[in-house]
Amino acid sequence: MGVVHGEEMVLNIGPQHPSTHGVLRLKVKTDGEIISEITPVIGYLHRCFEKHCENMTYDQVIPFTDRCDYLAAMANNFGYVVAVEELMELKVPEKVEYIRVIMAELQRIASHLLALGVYGLDIGAFTPFLFMLRDRERILDMFEMTCGARLLYNYMWVGGVSHDLPKGFVETAFQFLDYFEPQIEEYNKLLTYNKIFIERTADIGVLPQDVAISYGVSGPNLRASGVKWDLRRNDTYSIYEKFDFDVCIGDGGQGTLGDCWDRYYVRMLEIKESVKILRQALAQMPKDGDVHQALPKKIRPPKGSIYSRTETPRGDLGFYIESDGSPIPTRVKMRSPAFTALSVLGELAGGWMMSDVISILGSLDIVLGEIDR
Amino acid sequence: MSSEQEKLIAELIEKGLAGDMDSINAIEDRVLRSKVKSGLAKAKRAAKNAAVAAAKESSPEESSAEIMPSDHPNQKFAFMIEEKFPDSLADTLNDTHIQIKPDQWFEIASWLKSEPSLYFDSLQCHTGIDLGENMLEARYNLHSMKHDHKIEIRIAVSRDNAHIPSIEQIWRIGDWFERETYDMFGIFFDGHRDHRRMLLPEDWEGYPLRKDYEVQETYHGIIIPKVKEGWE
Repeated sequence: MGVVHGEEMVLNIGPQHPSTHGVLRLKVKTDGEIISEITPVIGYLHRCFEKHCENMTYDQVIPFTDRCDYLAAMANNFGYVVAVEELMELKVPEKVEYIRVIMAELQRIASHLLALGVYGLDIGAFTPFLFMLRDRERILDMFEMTCGARLLYNYMWVGGVSHDLPKGFVETAFQFLDYFEPQIEEYNKLLTYNKIFIERTADIGVLPQDVAISYGVSGPNLRASGVKWDLRRNDTYSIYEKFDFDVCIGDGGQGTLGDCWDRYYVRMLEIKESVKILRQALAQMPKDGDVHQALPKKIRPPKGSIYSRTETPRGDLGFYIESDGSPIPTRVKMRSPAFTALSVLGELAGGWMMSDVISILGSLDIVLGEIDR
Repeated sequence: MSSEQEKLIAELIEKGLAGDMDSINAIEDRVLRSKVKSGLAKAKRAAKNAAVAAAKESSPEESSAEIMPSDHPNQKFAFMIEEKFPDSLADTLNDTHIQIKPDQWFEIASWLKSEPSLYFDSLQCHTGIDLGENMLEARYNLHSMKHDHKIEIRIAVSRDNAHIPSIEQIWRIGDWFERETYDMFGIFFDGHRDHRRMLLPEDWEGYPLRKDYEVQETYHGIIIPKVKEGWE
């Protein structure tokens, strides 16, 4: 009988592969079915965002932030304008703040719906994806109603928003929420507590708290490991201190704390909290007010630099802006949450089976546009 | 306290000042040991104050430059660093950032993370910047999840000798952050275990985020289109 050679094999996943959620290449070293090492290779979608920023005025940067995280463009707009306003020490009218929070939370629901649906798709559940996309469509319709765009909005401007809310928006939003809330139960029945889904995600890819913090993992991925950390609460910006909502953390409901199922379920819980915030914001929003009132004629922040963070659906989005007092930024650095989330993959996936890599990668909810910038 | 004990304490403090800490640490009695240690700290402070006073007398112009930190947390942290690592600050205290020299950065960084009263466990953001005049700068935004305080560290290096110790093993996200900064600015991080480009191809020429960067003519035979002058 011959000798069986156990050799390591290098396998490339991507850059063109549906389960990598974009153009990501994973260099996987496997020993049979077990992963021994995994190296993400990124940069296929690099569009020189930061270099472009140094050649245009502050307000011209906003459409570029849309294109970084194209699944949560509102949240990226929000993060950027908050940073510039902080640098300029600009105060925006209350109505604008309400509109921004409403848009950001709608965007959070839309982004999480896509993340959860696509995650189901990765694992092999097709129906929940269609259900979630159907409901996400209604949110996109509302965005279209407001600013004409469905995906890349350029809606939030420094000092205001591009359009006031259209007539009938508040009613439409309430109608949507009334329709949407019972749907969450349906998703839970369909996917969350499905036996096959739990088998594929629980106890897989456990991310301990200290590793998560050291790798700069943030947002739902960090909270799933049991860290109660949400910038909307802990380093509050805009008017989030006015709303009553919970910071959801993972509890190892179906397995270990910080496994893939926890990361999935925290997002599901967050959707409920966003609905809660939306109901409060829609009810409290002042009826009158000019959304263009505080738009500065010339955006010329004083000399200095700022690092400002906001909570997007994917985690802490930071903008480091250096200004020399001219209308063109000297340096804009985007600290993207998906970038840090992907960096932990090498640590997470070692030792798991090939099929688990897809589970783990999907549970991190990455967007390549934001990683490569 | 008996006079015998006092004598013993005084003796041990003298030993400590001479650098012999082992005999103090070897004391069995915890109360006595803490008394000796507090006495030692007092003696050291007195010696330092005397030295400062002497320096003041000898050179009054220089002593006026000795700035005590204000209540701003940033100044306090900077002062703590300066106390622990003498001669590590490259600039005077201010409210926005802490400017340090590159040589001791690795030791300072590990101390910032391990010191219980600071405990900066999270590297929020790291980036480079081209200051012009042949200078590059690396900037680190640190944050403590436990104490909820933050600082910004800046390290300036010249282009000809752009080397900074890597902190990739202290905060693991530093791995990718530093690779990106190297990719874009050409700052080398000494001690990085995987020092490669991050976003651009391995064989790309130049460092794009430097202000004087010029795009290479061709890449693998493909002509690279030049950026249009100005925006229409």
